[in-house]
Amino acid sequence: MREGEGKTRAAGKKRSVSLSGGTRILTYVCLAWAALVALVPLVWLLLSSFKKDPLARPGFQLPESICLDGYVSTFRDLHVMRYFGNSMVISLLSVIISIVMISMSAYVVARMEFKGKGLVSLLLYSTMFIPATALTYPVYNLVNRLNIYDTRAALILIYSCSGIAVSFFVIKNYYMNIPKEMEEAARIDGCGYVQTWGKVIFPIARPGIMTAAVLAFLNNWNEYYWASLVMVTREKMTVPALLSTFTTAFRTNYNGLFSAMVVIILPPVVLYCVFSRFFVEALSGGAVKG
Amino acid sequence: MEKKRKNRLGMRRKGFILAFLAPTLAAFAIFYLYPILTVILTSFCKWDYTNIKTPQFWGWNELWNNYEYIFKTYPYFWEALRNSSAWALLGAVVQIPIATLVALAFSRKIRGIKLIRNIYIIPNMISTAAMGMIFLQLYSPLYGIVNPVIRLFNKGFDENILLLKGPAFWAMTGAYIFFTGTTTLLILGNIMAVPEDVKEAAVLDGADGLKQDWYITLPMIKGTLKTVSVLAATSGFLLYNEVYFLTKGAAGTYSISYVIRELAITSPRTQFGRANTVAVVQILAGMVIILLVNGLYSISWKKKGEGR
Repeated sequence: MREGEGKTRAAGKKRSVSLSGGTRILTYVCLAWAALVALVPLVWLLLSSFKKDPLARPGFQLPESICLDGYVSTFRDLHVMRYFGNSMVISLLSVIISIVMISMSAYVVARMEFKGKGLVSLLLYSTMFIPATALTYPVYNLVNRLNIYDTRAALILIYSCSGIAVSFFVIKNYYMNIPKEMEEAARIDGCGYVQTWGKVIFPIARPGIMTAAVLAFLNNWNEYYWASLVMVTREKMTVPALLSTFTTAFRTNYNGLFSAMVVIILPPVVLYCVFSRFFVEALSGGAVKG
Repeated sequence: MEKKRKNRLGMRRKGFILAFLAPTLAAFAIFYLYPILTVILTSFCKWDYTNIKTPQFWGWNELWNNYEYIFKTYPYFWEALRNSSAWALLGAVVQIPIATLVALAFSRKIRGIKLIRNIYIIPNMISTAAMGMIFLQLYSPLYGIVNPVIRLFNKGFDENILLLKGPAFWAMTGAYIFFTGTTTLLILGNIMAVPEDVKEAAVLDGADGLKQDWYITLPMIKGTLKTVSVLAATSGFLLYNEVYFLTKGAAGTYSISYVIRELAITSPRTQFGRANTVAVVQILAGMVIILLVNGLYSISWKKKGEGR
């Protein structure tokens, strides 16, 4: 909490544009609010994870001494790396499948005229507004009938097929901005349709495709609903699914619980801190510089 | 001869289009089309733990059997619909104004603003399951930080607010509603894309700061505001993870998604047909949300346009 205020104050030192009184006050209130909302839960979590007994020193009290037992046991007893591995394999494979698939079809829709093009766009666009939870039982049933219940393949299938809309539109928009001459030149050089796409268009569109891939990866990594639905064996679970076993696994070992939670949220946070420029540009549609 | 070649080229073109569309269309069919058809058709079937393999059509006379059961007998449906609708409404009327205000603040040229902006997005990088788990701890009466705050006003308060009917709903709402990082970024992206000369013209007209935002910036990004309103309302309506991690439906906090999963999977007497009935309601409600938000935006902006 204190950190957030410090940052706001630091931000106020130098302004390149003078704002009128009311606007300035509102701006600073909003900034303070933004920092506070994001930092309070996370700082509290981090602080609590260092306390030997969070019950004895609740709230924002500083720990008496820094206790790292919970962190040690998170790696030694909980085998957290195994779950990171599961999440990594599942998220990565699904992203590769879905992005290759979608960058193919988005190309056709962006660049070629054919009957039913409008319908294809409409169908894919509609997936954005179909609630995944409404499909719970049919998908669960399908997974069972394919005999892949409680396997990583089930999640890979679900993640590859879901979330089509966002990737499709990000990639399609990128294709639309590539000048047509690029293709024509490739065609004159004797490239077939597949070659034109694979050797010329796909490499040029790589930034847009990467954006879609990163967003899809983050979604898969954080996905809880399906992961908890089709996985039961603890050893195969992804990180979010593992979370639901925590309340019973840790019972009254609060130090262990808090430490494990910090470790679990760390990878996306670290990834974001390192590549924040990339994320910000991707999420804002490229208009905001990171 | 010429015609034949043209034909072959056309065939090749067709083949290419089909081959490149096929995988995505297959994925659409597997994950969306087939499940939706199943949901709609079996919402009119007797299908539960007694006949897992073979759903049975209720027949024309009893066509609405599942719907009647859900509306009249099932104890949690109306509670869930009320909660989910409230969360949808709160998404549009609380999240979007907050996201817009923060985005406007982020659009000012102030030193250090990137740092706060990046911090604000961090909670949205973490899974909602983990955020739910964190808030479960924050609300703990033993070591959390919410009870000490309540105790400032109400000495001796030592209950778990997640188990109190009424407060539990708001505690759950508070666990997700303020994290608008991704929405803020989308809005910010559009604010930044407003052409510089439009802003300069506004400054010359004497509109700066809040006035400029209200009369120039917001109308120019209303398309985006509408889209994010739909997304916020829809995701509020679909809330599941927060319910599962914080209350498991206790103290009047059922959501529609939670009802579907309970009926279809977790209940000892699973009712697939009836779960799919609720799913149909959910799909329809999603469409109603889209129409409502679109309607409201076209009315309010028209009025504003006339006022000026």
